[in-house]
Amino acid sequence: MDAGLLAQYVMNGLMLGMMYALVAVGFTLFFGVLDVIKFSHGDVLTVGAFTALATFAGLRGIGIDYGPINLFAMLAVAILSMAALGMLIARLIVLPLRSAPALNVLLITLMLGTVLRESVRLFYPQGANPKPFPALLTQTSIDLGRFNLRLDNGLMLAAGVLIIIGLQVLLNRTKLGLAIRAVAQDEETARTMGINFTAVVLMTFAIGSALAAFAGVINGLYYNEINFSIGLYLGVIGFSAAIIGGLGSVYGAILGGFLFAGLQTIGTVVLPFASAYKDVFAFAVVIAIMAWRPTGLIQEKISERV
Amino acid sequence: MLLRSRTSTMLAVTLLAGTLVATAEAKDKVKVGFIGPLTGGVSVNGLGGRNSADLSVRLRNTDAKAKYEYELVVLDDECKPNVAVQVATKMAADNEIVAAATHYCSSTAIATVDTYHKFGLPVVVWGAVLPDITYRNKYAEVHRVNGTMINQNEANAELVTKLGYKTFAVIHDTTDYGKGHNQYFSEALAKKGGRIVGTFGVTADQQDFTAELTQIKALNPEVIYFGGLTPIGVRIRAQMDKLGIKAVFDGTSGIVSEAFIQGVGPLAEGVLAFREGAPTEKLPGGKFFMEKYTAQKYDNPPEAYGAFAFAAMDLILDTIEKVGPDRKKVIAEMASVKDRDSIVGKITFDDHGQNTVPIITKYVIQDGKFVEWDNSEYTSGKRKLPGQK
Amino acid sequence: MAEAGQKTNAPLWPGLAALLLATAYVGTMLAAEKQRTIIALLGFGIAAILLAGWLRLLEPVGRSFADREDALGALSIAATLAIGGYFREDHFVLLLVVTVLLYSVATLGLNIQFGYAGVLNFAGASFFGIGAYTSAVLNTYSAVPHLLVLLIGGLLAAFIGSLLLLPVLRTRGHYAAVVTIAFALLLKTFLEVNDVLGGPQGMQVPGMKLLGWSFNDNITIGRLSLSFYMSYFFVSLLLLVAAFILVRRLERSWVGLNLDALRLDETAARCFGLNVARWKIIAFLLGNFLIGIAGALFGMVGGFVAPNNYTFADSLILVSILLLGGIGNPWGLIVATLIVVVVPEKLQTIQEYRFLLYASLVIAVLLFRPEGLLPRPVRRYFPGWRP
Repeated sequence: MDAGLLAQYVMNGLMLGMMYALVAVGFTLFFGVLDVIKFSHGDVLTVGAFTALATFAGLRGIGIDYGPINLFAMLAVAILSMAALGMLIARLIVLPLRSAPALNVLLITLMLGTVLRESVRLFYPQGANPKPFPALLTQTSIDLGRFNLRLDNGLMLAAGVLIIIGLQVLLNRTKLGLAIRAVAQDEETARTMGINFTAVVLMTFAIGSALAAFAGVINGLYYNEINFSIGLYLGVIGFSAAIIGGLGSVYGAILGGFLFAGLQTIGTVVLPFASAYKDVFAFAVVIAIMAWRPTGLIQEKISERV
Repeated sequence: MLLRSRTSTMLAVTLLAGTLVATAEAKDKVKVGFIGPLTGGVSVNGLGGRNSADLSVRLRNTDAKAKYEYELVVLDDECKPNVAVQVATKMAADNEIVAAATHYCSSTAIATVDTYHKFGLPVVVWGAVLPDITYRNKYAEVHRVNGTMINQNEANAELVTKLGYKTFAVIHDTTDYGKGHNQYFSEALAKKGGRIVGTFGVTADQQDFTAELTQIKALNPEVIYFGGLTPIGVRIRAQMDKLGIKAVFDGTSGIVSEAFIQGVGPLAEGVLAFREGAPTEKLPGGKFFMEKYTAQKYDNPPEAYGAFAFAAMDLILDTIEKVGPDRKKVIAEMASVKDRDSIVGKITFDDHGQNTVPIITKYVIQDGKFVEWDNSEYTSGKRKLPGQK
Repeated sequence: MAEAGQKTNAPLWPGLAALLLATAYVGTMLAAEKQRTIIALLGFGIAAILLAGWLRLLEPVGRSFADREDALGALSIAATLAIGGYFREDHFVLLLVVTVLLYSVATLGLNIQFGYAGVLNFAGASFFGIGAYTSAVLNTYSAVPHLLVLLIGGLLAAFIGSLLLLPVLRTRGHYAAVVTIAFALLLKTFLEVNDVLGGPQGMQVPGMKLLGWSFNDNITIGRLSLSFYMSYFFVSLLLLVAAFILVRRLERSWVGLNLDALRLDETAARCFGLNVARWKIIAFLLGNFLIGIAGALFGMVGGFVAPNNYTFADSLILVSILLLGGIGNPWGLIVATLIVVVVPEKLQTIQEYRFLLYASLVIAVLLFRPEGLLPRPVRRYFPGWRP
């Protein structure tokens, strides 16, 4: 296989990996702070994507059709509204159920995800049909032999990387990040240190959901299409990626995301005419990893009081 | 005395007339069914078909000479075989429904033939093109008014080889529909001397085609033949462009839909498609159908197969009028349909219940519209397809 | 507290009355055609239950069911047969009833895994599908007797489940959830891309044939003409009764005691010498076995199998039935299955919204009544003992 083809595969893998990583980071943040798996995360992504689409349609309706402004507005509206949705979910569902058995929370968030997905399908006009997403980034591409480098893919990849770096900076260099890490480590002690637990939790959910909204818009721009079930697939993969990387570790989530994308790409390359098996291959590896390392590649440090 | 007898006669006559009118208006209600994809990626075709069948029932109900009053029962098969079997079971198990016009998606139609046979429900297929639907078994219950995919693929192969293309890649969906297209196109192309460099099967709801398209790019074909429906057709065409693949996109009746043009936007220019049957306006009853359809102000156009759905439902209603609302009698009567007039031309069912539709329309998308190939600027040479000599 | 050995059995009549009312209600619901009647019936039913709860009428019923289970069980079978007899010519209603019966069996299997042993299984529909595909393949390509096919379906489901044993045993909580979710997706994708098993188009399943008598032909006995679903109805009822008795006996035996112990506190169970791994394996495999058998029979009833029937969303439906009915309570399971299967079919207007409604209902239940509709009663350690 020549370098151009390889580069194309690598590029595809990187784009997928970035999207998975963004979702996985959200899962890990929520788990770290509240010990809860918020399964509806993937569907928050879907709602974010549809919100962006609705914003676009709205702006078009009132006559604003300038690419960068539309894109900026879509991102802003999607991110802010999803942040609000995330906080709402945290406040109304996740926080009150902190003392309930973990399974109940898992199931509630799973069902919540279904509610979000079905709401989009039923209440968005013709939600059951796939919807074209506007191509708002530059369409130019550079041909490097067999490898076709599209500038918009490059831009999205760069943006994704920046966001992840930004998140790391937020977590490690700011006071809010310090508060989040403190709460993730030990809730009681953090509270005694004067950290406003509820506020920190809400902020964390807001950040995670905002990341999901960003991933949703990127997804729409990449495929030029969104439909109501993209969240389910991405959510499960994001969750698996977070688990592989080890819940509670942001680096682990990013690693897991790119690893999963890598597995899918390897699956495609190794089985050229049966590339449909790539998902089977990837999930089988996930199960195998779970059998080998039950708490993920980057071990979660749990101590159980007996 | 005379006056009283005249009044009483008049009274009696009025009463009699009234009773006659009353009984004439109390027609027996008969239920007929319609199944199509009302939600999901190909819903515009399903809704168009449903509206057309509904139009047929409405027109019949306003006809004073009709013996029965018809009620249309509509079910959604979502273009998924398992859902189709469930709704087909539901419809066929309801003994009040006498006959039904069924299915746009071939994957659903082929999955349900056994169900209709099991329950003895006569059906007329209006949009699915897979030959196996009528030819795999000899079920007296199953009939079809539209044509099969064999002819459109032959016309397809002929056109593309005539234009000088030699290398082809095939992408098809893995339902029986896509596999059927793959089979018939490959056979037709082999006869004309074309060479297929790669065949790729994809799932009907697949999102990401970069894997397959990257390999296709490496194989460098001149034409990409697509055997599948609009939703993934849109994605493949868009992702082809993203990867910089400059081949001709050659589709089938599955993409003859406004939704395809809306989905890909400017990338639709120069896409080929084929379809059995003349365009709706050119059908024998086309103008009549379009007039009545627009008068009803449906919120969806009839799309490519609306006229066939109308013809199917008309045929069902005619048959029920003739033999009464009895499933077995309808099946017996439909076996003898020969040269029956309809808006799509004369309908004759062969021994497998299949109608022959001789004309194949060749389309190319030009300026955002489906234009017949022979009338397009591509034939005259004013525009050229990618790689056209 | 009553002394051990003293029998103070609750009277039979509250349970009997409740059973009769319930049967009449279900029968009317199944027979109703007009949407307005159905909505009215639903409203009436909900109001009646709330009223009964407020008037404290439900406790005697519960006690009666707990004490007189055998008698009431036999009466329930009779009631089901009555319903089947009443609708003997109606294809669709019988199909609904058979669906309820077989889903109940599958959920009973899930109950063993989750309600008793605490092993998470989000791939219930996948094992159901394995059973269905087994009957599809064996019925089409071989001449294995169909009863044996059911058994093989169950065994195959258990066997494939055993491939997941290592990850399931080693993981806990959320991680365990991932394993079964990943498996559910893996199986669906595998079935879809695999042409040998029909791919996305699925396969037709030849109907059941027992002793030369084909189940797919309508039955005519003298002047009675019965829908062909009646034969399936009898077999499904038999299967449900067998599964129910099995689950009940299991729960009350020392096996059930062990499973409960390891579910409630694994570390303490280990301290008492319970071999946790062995019990989890037994629960998981037995559960999958039941689910597989139910799937195999359901495949034959429906006549058609396709990967889209057995997705992760369908597994979630099975889990929500379990939650709704009350984890660990077989009676609650059956009630919940009835609700989840029959109501959306009947209430056509909400057909489109049914997933939304299920999910909202489960959320409501989990928030306000996590034990479910019919919570599992406390274990009775001595006969006649009342907590």
